[in-house]
Amino acid sequence: MQSHSVYKVPQGKLLKINLEYDETTHRILHIRITGDFFAYPEEAMEHLEEQLKDTPLDRKELLLQISSLISQYHIEFIGLNAEALTQGILMCVL
Amino acid sequence: MSEEWRLLQTGYAKAFTNMAVDKAILVSHSKGLVPPTVRFYGWVPPAISIGYFQSLVEEVDLEACQRYGVDCVRRITGGGAVFHDKELTYSIVIAESHPSIPKNILQSYGRICGAVMKGLEQLGINSEYAPINDIVTNGRKISGNAQTRKHQTVLQHGTVLMDVDVDTMFSLLKVPNEKIKDKLIADVKQRVTSIHHCLGKHIRFTQVADAMKRGFEEEFQIHLVEGGLTIEEQTFAEQFEKETFLTEKWNRKR
Repeated sequence: MQSHSVYKVPQGKLLKINLEYDETTHRILHIRITGDFFAYPEEAMEHLEEQLKDTPLDRKELLLQISSLISQYHIEFIGLNAEALTQGILMCVL
Repeated sequence: MSEEWRLLQTGYAKAFTNMAVDKAILVSHSKGLVPPTVRFYGWVPPAISIGYFQSLVEEVDLEACQRYGVDCVRRITGGGAVFHDKELTYSIVIAESHPSIPKNILQSYGRICGAVMKGLEQLGINSEYAPINDIVTNGRKISGNAQTRKHQTVLQHGTVLMDVDVDTMFSLLKVPNEKIKDKLIADVKQRVTSIHHCLGKHIRFTQVADAMKRGFEEEFQIHLVEGGLTIEEQTFAEQFEKETFLTEKWNRKR
């Protein structure tokens, strides 16, 4: 199943998610995160997208996984944060 | 005696060259080959640059760009899509460890924007920094800025709008909802301004560049010495242009 969301991060930037997920297992198959936000280092976002594969589409688990990847890859967001990213992803399935 | 930084006035160039030169300066400075550098440049033909994380096909009407002869390039910096036409673009490349550059990224945006604001002041325009990455005058955007940090080096580039054509901009950029396009255009016209609009007269690129030079010198208490790209930088720039900025792989990577 493919889905798309557009989410204006409160006090932040515009986040767009293209999501492909398994309807049976409710897990991420492929994700592309785009938008006019800033993330440092930029290239880490590609690792984050890759590592989000197979994550369950559940708010708690998503937030946990995203927060852990942010810390693992030392990502600093401006105009975006872990909560907003979780929200944007969940908007694809709500 | 104040510190000397290099000033590069590279004039007008294609989008791909402009982005390659900024990256070449970043790499050269990170290797200790060149001093902190401020660069002023313009875009011929007019071009759209998109932020690192944006989708080219989702943001830009590529057919319209072809019709208008507008080039499109992905930046190495985040942020939004920009239509570069009648503007001065600046870039600054400096070590993250330089005492004038706050470690905090948002604060460093503010500091560098301070130079642009002082430059605008030279032209008689009072402005303020509007976080995250804009400079506004009377509540209207006159400059947009974007920063990356690589190899312990900061690159920030940004626009100083000399004139603005919102209608052309919207015929080149895709809008999420065609039904509200007219309202969106009207809103943006209210929210964006330019040196021409503020002063009621046209100012030449060189005058804006002179003002910005003084702005950077005042903000950072430095002396800008005009120079050129080194041979290494030219080689890097040619390589980055060919291997990255001109390629579909890079420009369509998202």
